[in-house]
Amino acid sequence: MTPRLKDLPTLRINPATKLSLTYRGRRYGGMAGDTIATALHANGIRIFSRSLKYHRPRGLYSLDGESSNCLMEVDGVPNVRSAVTQLQDGMIVKPQNVVGTPEHDFMSFVDKLDRFLPAGFYYHYFHRPYKLWPFFQNRLRNAAGLGRLNPSFRMKGHFDEIYPSTDVCVIGAGPAGMHAALAAGDQGLRVILLEARPWPGGFFDYRSAEYSHDIPLHKRARQLADKIGERENIRFFPNTNMIGFYAKNLITAFQVGKESDPFDERYIEIRAESVVVATGCIERPMIFDHNERPGVMQVNCAHRLARTYGLLPGKRAVFSVGDDLGVEAAIDLSDLGLNVLCVADARFDGQASSLLEGLEKRNILFLRGWAVSKSHGNKTLKKATLCNIDGMMSRDFTCDVLVTSAGLTPAAGPLFLAKAKMSYDYFTNFFLPEALPPKVHVAGRLLGLMDSLSIEVSGRLAGLSAAADCGAPVQNHLRDAREEMEQLPGPARGSKLVQAPGSGRKRFICFDEDVTIKNIYQACDMGFDNVELVKRFSTAGLGPGQGNIPGHNLPMILAQYLQKYGDSSTTILPTTIRPPLVPTSLATYAGKCPDPVKRTPLHETMEKTPGAVFRRVGPLKRVRYFSNDFTCRKEIENVRNNVGIIDVSTLGKFRIFGPEALKALQRVYVGDMSNISEGKVKYSAMCNEDGCLIDDGVVIKRGDNDYYFTSSTNRADSTVEWIRYHSRHEPWNFCMVNLTDAFGAVNLAGPRSRDVLGMIADKDLSNESFPYAGYREFKIKGGVPIRAMRLGFVGELSYELHVPASYMRTVWDLLLEAGKPFDIMPFGLEAQNVLRLEKGHVIIGQETEIRTTLHDLGLEFLWHREKSLYKTVGAPALSFTEHQEGRMKLVGFKMEDPSRPPKDGSVIVDTRIRGHVCTARYSFTLGESIGLALVHSDLADIGTCLEIFEDNMDEKRLYATVVPTPFYDPEGKRLRM
Amino acid sequence: MSLTITCPICGQRNGYEFRFGGEERGPRPDEEDLTHEQWCDYVHMRTNIGGIQREWWYHRDGCGSWFTIRRDTLTNLEVEGPEET
Repeated sequence: MTPRLKDLPTLRINPATKLSLTYRGRRYGGMAGDTIATALHANGIRIFSRSLKYHRPRGLYSLDGESSNCLMEVDGVPNVRSAVTQLQDGMIVKPQNVVGTPEHDFMSFVDKLDRFLPAGFYYHYFHRPYKLWPFFQNRLRNAAGLGRLNPSFRMKGHFDEIYPSTDVCVIGAGPAGMHAALAAGDQGLRVILLEARPWPGGFFDYRSAEYSHDIPLHKRARQLADKIGERENIRFFPNTNMIGFYAKNLITAFQVGKESDPFDERYIEIRAESVVVATGCIERPMIFDHNERPGVMQVNCAHRLARTYGLLPGKRAVFSVGDDLGVEAAIDLSDLGLNVLCVADARFDGQASSLLEGLEKRNILFLRGWAVSKSHGNKTLKKATLCNIDGMMSRDFTCDVLVTSAGLTPAAGPLFLAKAKMSYDYFTNFFLPEALPPKVHVAGRLLGLMDSLSIEVSGRLAGLSAAADCGAPVQNHLRDAREEMEQLPGPARGSKLVQAPGSGRKRFICFDEDVTIKNIYQACDMGFDNVELVKRFSTAGLGPGQGNIPGHNLPMILAQYLQKYGDSSTTILPTTIRPPLVPTSLATYAGKCPDPVKRTPLHETMEKTPGAVFRRVGPLKRVRYFSNDFTCRKEIENVRNNVGIIDVSTLGKFRIFGPEALKALQRVYVGDMSNISEGKVKYSAMCNEDGCLIDDGVVIKRGDNDYYFTSSTNRADSTVEWIRYHSRHEPWNFCMVNLTDAFGAVNLAGPRSRDVLGMIADKDLSNESFPYAGYREFKIKGGVPIRAMRLGFVGELSYELHVPASYMRTVWDLLLEAGKPFDIMPFGLEAQNVLRLEKGHVIIGQETEIRTTLHDLGLEFLWHREKSLYKTVGAPALSFTEHQEGRMKLVGFKMEDPSRPPKDGSVIVDTRIRGHVCTARYSFTLGESIGLALVHSDLADIGTCLEIFEDNMDEKRLYATVVPTPFYDPEGKRLRM
Repeated sequence: MSLTITCPICGQRNGYEFRFGGEERGPRPDEEDLTHEQWCDYVHMRTNIGGIQREWWYHRDGCGSWFTIRRDTLTNLEVEGPEET
């Protein structure tokens, strides 16, 4: 393991905490603070992966995860950005896209075949004849592609999501971003500060150059960071990548958790009044022959390896740079012990004089107007060829690390996403914002500023402008900051160089997709003369690096080529940038996936009841069975012979009142609500505009203009919305309250239910004083208020008791106690399902589908056609469809073989599909298999034989006969007992 | 969701809180002499404007009221200010 540099004030590693990782079966050491890539680099590993197309070796190039070079498989998760992922103890790391080993890849011969693989080669070779394309497509897809995902792999970890809102959101916690946050924070505003790296500081963090009198930049960064930490109104999110920027300043991001955080990753969606973008710059790759050989790396990668992680990037280094940061890094690294052979600067002038003196003092060879033109080596770098810009002179250097960048490019992704108007500036050679959307501000190096003070003041200016958007009185501060800005250096001149002299075949513009300059020229020659078209055809920038490597070079190279060989008026245009700016795993987007379960007031009681088997019903958990006998024979027979009790608290329960409440009820119910007599329940139904049944329930008139009504379980949440929607154009005066959760309900059913209820109710329950379809309010045990209705869903004498939720457990216990002498037993949803099936009652969603009208169900008697005045929802469709032919009708059937009911959902066939079975069960009460089915109207006549096909039945069929419903107690005597 | 909606009771809120209720198509037609086609047209046909439309929203996770806003369907942004005639 390479020894680390010690005692640097900029280090972010903790050598005291040793960590380990397993790479290709071997254990390697690392330390706290390392990323996976720096730990591997410290252990001498230089080849991290093989490239997509040519299987070329790839290594550490950038520490910000901008290319696919450092994508590795970590703990089974493919495509982990190892350069930005913090090392955790015990990680198992594997190289990707490797056939064999990273050092000896069996597919690397493809690299020699590049002549035969021009841009879009698969369109050329494999589409003639077109019949063969699927075959080749399959082959190509197997050969290409980054990591592999095991289909049975399940992502581990805790994923969270938060939705903060804030006054000012600052993207990027470099010097400009921190100043912006402080300036807005000083005004008492709430500020959110996002930073992709684990610490604030940006490009100050690792630099030892002087900020002002004896204060180095890294110290200045820490001063600012301390100030940020002190402010309670600044929320700092480290390890947070901004990924999207949408209208009305909606910013999306994700944060990678530290070990102390309760999440591994969390999705963040921020709504900000005003936004400051201060994302700074990334480096623009220098393009030369074999410009991605392991050993070639970006300036800030080499610099930060040493300063942040204490690792010298190599032994003998050559620098080929295009800006002062590169020269500064060469001097600093030389001081730290790196043997710097030479610094080539593509610029002829413009270097800071202090840097030139520094080079001279250290006897480092400085080549003005030179750049690297070729890297040599078998797999990793052995030698670099430098030449001057006109290509006349060249020199070779034996080296193991080549630190290079052509210049800087602004990380302007957030501005593109924010739909700022961007245009190319020929002085800075940046895409600069020409016009910004409202309440979006830009600061720092994004504007082309390179001077430390200018950057800081621009940050303050942006922060104050954002504060002004939030209404803070900052006019004087703004004026001062503007005046100060005018005194400071403006944007710096940027490097124009894109590629070094030479014309080799292996000059990569996009590492992710193995796209060379040649491929770009080929695409141009084929007529793709627009940057978007070239991008799509050549696939440059379509890889997981999200276009950060070719993003700036591609438009420049294309414009140069087209100006020379095509349209001389070609301008430099950016490609479209889309979210996410950083690869984001789907697990992060999925977030917490909360799956809340709603419980009835009797949930605990049910859990304690022996034999209770719960099933999920929508958001609810309800008891389906009370024993392991899933036919529920005992439960059913007990209801038919004695008395049973079921929790039906999930029914929707509502109060509607006010002078025009009746009009609202008339609008949504198909029945006539004007003649509900007191003490009676009115059963009715709601249809949608197509006349299809969506809900049924009862309505009770409790007083003048005051009604209590119920809905089916799954309409409990949408009924208020439905009624308000359909009266939205009316100036009606009424109020609604959803009482679903305020009331619980039980159904006490069976011939002995009157005896049970009579034991505890202070009310005469005789058939005369409380008949079928009656409604009464009384008290149980003199204290508990009860709303009771005599209904007959299961076909027996029964009482549906609505009870304030807090009394539900008491009432349940009292009823069970009172029912003991009558052999009371609870019953579940399955028993209720069979009981109501015997009675021929429908359950919406089970016996109906989206097209089933009231007529189809035989429920047309519920429709009162003489109320067109009220414009009832669905009424026009009911009259239009009343005599329509060819509809699906609900019928009852009995099976020919009484012991064999078909499965629910089986299809009814003759020569084709003619319908389906809705529910079918063996009825212990009747000793037969019965069911309800939706069939074509010509099969709906009584006596028709139905052929039923179940899954995997082949030629076999089940046979049934259409019979009238109800199957059980057709006269309805038992309800009225 | 970048869309924000101004509820007349609760003020400007995140679009997640609301349910869409379709474009404004005027009150329900009278049932007298209503033809099949007119009815289908009212229930099923939409104008699908590319531009500013008046439309219904329900504040589901809030006050529970239905109201209309004007939204530019090209930018998916609520348009403030009174309707121009």
